[in-house]
Amino acid sequence: MSATTSVEKAAQDRLHAVDGDTGTDANGREDDGTLSTPLDMLLSEASRSPLRRFVPGMSGVRMTAALARRPQRVVRRGLGLTADLARIGVGRSDLAPSEKDRRFAEEAWSRNPLFKRTLQGYLALGQAARGLVEDAELDWGDGQRMGFIVDNLVEATAPSNNPFLNPKVLKRTLDTGGGNLLEGGRRLVRDFATPPRVPSMVESDAFEVGADLAVTPGTVVLRTDVFELIQYTPQTPQVREVPLLVVPPTINKYYVIDLAEERSMVEHLVRGGQQVFVISWRNPDARHADWGLDTYGQAIIEAMTACEKISRQDRTSVLGICSGGMIASMLVAHLADIGEADRVASFSLMVTVLDQERAGVTSALLSHKTAAASTRASKEKGYLDGRALAEIFAWLRPNDLIWNYWVNNYLMGHAPKAFDILYWNADPVRMTAAMHHDFMDLALRNALVTAGESTMLGSKVDLGKIDRDTYVVAGIADHLCKWESCYQSTQLFGGDTKFVLSTSGHIAAMVNPPGNPKASFQTAPENPADAAAWLEGAHKVKGSWWDDYVAWLDARSGAERNKPRKAGNAAYAPLCEAPGTYVHDR
Amino acid sequence: MSTTAEGRDAVRSRDRVRSVSVRGLQARVSVRAARGDRVGEPPLLLCNGIGISLEALQPLVDALDPDRGVVRFDVPGVGGSQAPPFPYPIAALASWVGALMTKLGHREYDALGLSWGGGLAQQLAVQSRKRVRRVVLVATGTGMLMVPAHPRVLRIMSTPRRHRDPAYAATVAPLIYGGSMRTDPARGAALLHATTRSGPKRGYYYQLAAMTGWTSLPFLGLLRQPTLVMGGDDDPIIPAANPRMQAALIPNARLHLYAGGHLGVLTEADELVPVIEAFLDEDRG
Repeated sequence: MSATTSVEKAAQDRLHAVDGDTGTDANGREDDGTLSTPLDMLLSEASRSPLRRFVPGMSGVRMTAALARRPQRVVRRGLGLTADLARIGVGRSDLAPSEKDRRFAEEAWSRNPLFKRTLQGYLALGQAARGLVEDAELDWGDGQRMGFIVDNLVEATAPSNNPFLNPKVLKRTLDTGGGNLLEGGRRLVRDFATPPRVPSMVESDAFEVGADLAVTPGTVVLRTDVFELIQYTPQTPQVREVPLLVVPPTINKYYVIDLAEERSMVEHLVRGGQQVFVISWRNPDARHADWGLDTYGQAIIEAMTACEKISRQDRTSVLGICSGGMIASMLVAHLADIGEADRVASFSLMVTVLDQERAGVTSALLSHKTAAASTRASKEKGYLDGRALAEIFAWLRPNDLIWNYWVNNYLMGHAPKAFDILYWNADPVRMTAAMHHDFMDLALRNALVTAGESTMLGSKVDLGKIDRDTYVVAGIADHLCKWESCYQSTQLFGGDTKFVLSTSGHIAAMVNPPGNPKASFQTAPENPADAAAWLEGAHKVKGSWWDDYVAWLDARSGAERNKPRKAGNAAYAPLCEAPGTYVHDR
Repeated sequence: MSTTAEGRDAVRSRDRVRSVSVRGLQARVSVRAARGDRVGEPPLLLCNGIGISLEALQPLVDALDPDRGVVRFDVPGVGGSQAPPFPYPIAALASWVGALMTKLGHREYDALGLSWGGGLAQQLAVQSRKRVRRVVLVATGTGMLMVPAHPRVLRIMSTPRRHRDPAYAATVAPLIYGGSMRTDPARGAALLHATTRSGPKRGYYYQLAAMTGWTSLPFLGLLRQPTLVMGGDDDPIIPAANPRMQAALIPNARLHLYAGGHLGVLTEADELVPVIEAFLDEDRG
């Protein structure tokens, strides 16, 4: 029992690393969210080489100039550092890493004088380097950039990353006669030979899609160039009349909502008596470069039509997740525009940002120039490689996602532990050049907020026209889609909105199976304009929001009826079993 | 539970596409389990032509005995399979395919190689002679030492463009594939484009590179398996002299020349697949 718990705990920790959900980072600093990573920034950075992020460029020039104007500060820093190092040398320094810093948990770091001095010297140097950035008093954008670069350098030079300075690694090297470094070297070569050029967080054969992930029974009932539609097999004698169509993100495989058994949202919904249909997007390549927002919007309409025909209804509940939620929102607005709003029985959004206006992060890190360069690069190639996104994302949280695995995989020679979400995370989908362009355009102009600024299938998009009941979910520690930004959707839609704030980050907020005694979420009867005001008025509910969501859907899914005897119908004949074929395309 | 069983029975295609990790490479494979009295018989492993994904073999699979077990896969870097970090020699690929079949639980199997895949099938046959029971070589040559195609054909073959650009495919299909594609070039484009997943270009060039310097000529005499060699009389890529030569050099081989082009086994599957079936079933009591 205890073994299971500790495995679960470790898995949870690693998930939090991906999510950016630790609350405190590995250095133990309180996480103030300055490094939150908007999706659009990831998209704009992804076609550039990660190395370019570490070239200071003009920010560096300005920092040098700023420091040159304040020589006395630089001198003071230098003297302070010298004094620190002198104290360390004679063993009188009390510099110590944060208690929460797992990198230096080994006893040798505090008891062995040699290791202690190495560590203290590193801490002193790091403090001085970070101090210099503060001294330069750069403007906000340059400060962010230089801070990012210096932080990365400081973290990269940590003695724990060095096989000769890390006591844990030295001990293991003695124990295994160097076998750990041999095995680690082999892993290093394999990981860095192909993108993403970051340490792998999970073995490539840790899981098999269709065997231990994406296993909820279902049938592919429609295959188009763009997607496969999976109809899940009912597991209750009675099902709700109105089908539910899930529109997953376009930059990851859909099976994040159908992970292992008991961790699958699809399974939960099916067992809750819903008729669940899920879109599995094709992994596009260079030939599909011109698939844009309209292509994906049209695909959702085709899927809705199939849901309606198969379940003999004239309406469908639509659930959009992350980037899938953006497209779905635009499509629902389009349906409202052409007078077919009734086709949508209810609308749900998970971890989706529609209003991209937020405190300066975008303006600092996402410039029009970068965006243009980025879309140009993907246009040449025909698509944006999901693995490039993974690289960028990893380098934004290097301690958790790079150096942690650097030590584990290469220096210790251990295999990374098997964890389903990390496996999913390492199985990305490409984004077509046209889609990339469309997303960047929406982000730069924040075009979804103002009616008529964007178009979907010929309609001018006005989210205010969406008068359906909506259910909006966000994660409080979501670094990719900040919950405050997700919350803004409640102000955009015209209908009745229930906003639910889950614990954890982007992925863990979504993968929230009932049964966890610590699970809870917050919700409130009113949606004031200000997210902070909402949080004040919100109350905490124990349990997973999955159950709350099923109840909410039930109220909007019509009457109960006997489950359908077969998948599909004459017009939509079953093609193959779930998870289908597109999900296997790398 | 009963609904699940009913749902599965209703599913038309018995092919199950999976993603399997073999020696650290994710491979996309399609497996059709044997059924009826063929359960327990060795399945047929299909080795595909260059640059195309396993869907392209559908006409061939459809024409086979529906009870026969069939395994198809995307070569690394092509279709839905992960590209390997480095180029590989054909022998390494053959060994990898052996590992794939082991992983899928097949100790013994028949191997059919089409075009480029014929090279792989020959290598596999000599490398795993205990495991490969029978060999079918369709429209394939002996590698570097063979009767070469026209330089114009070779130039078209030297890039994956025909797999990526349907208009171009329609133009060049008659020229390189011959046979019925001469009268109906759109068919070639449809065959290669509509169903084909396209991997990185690198995958195609790895495939080309794997065959560089490789030839089966010296070892054809060592093949012990019963072998069926098939070739078209209007195949611009593999002139008919090649299958003749193969059949002459392989000790236990027979030759079947047909009227048609390079992809005849796909375009005229209903005529040619029965020949293959008859050959594979020769041992059956």
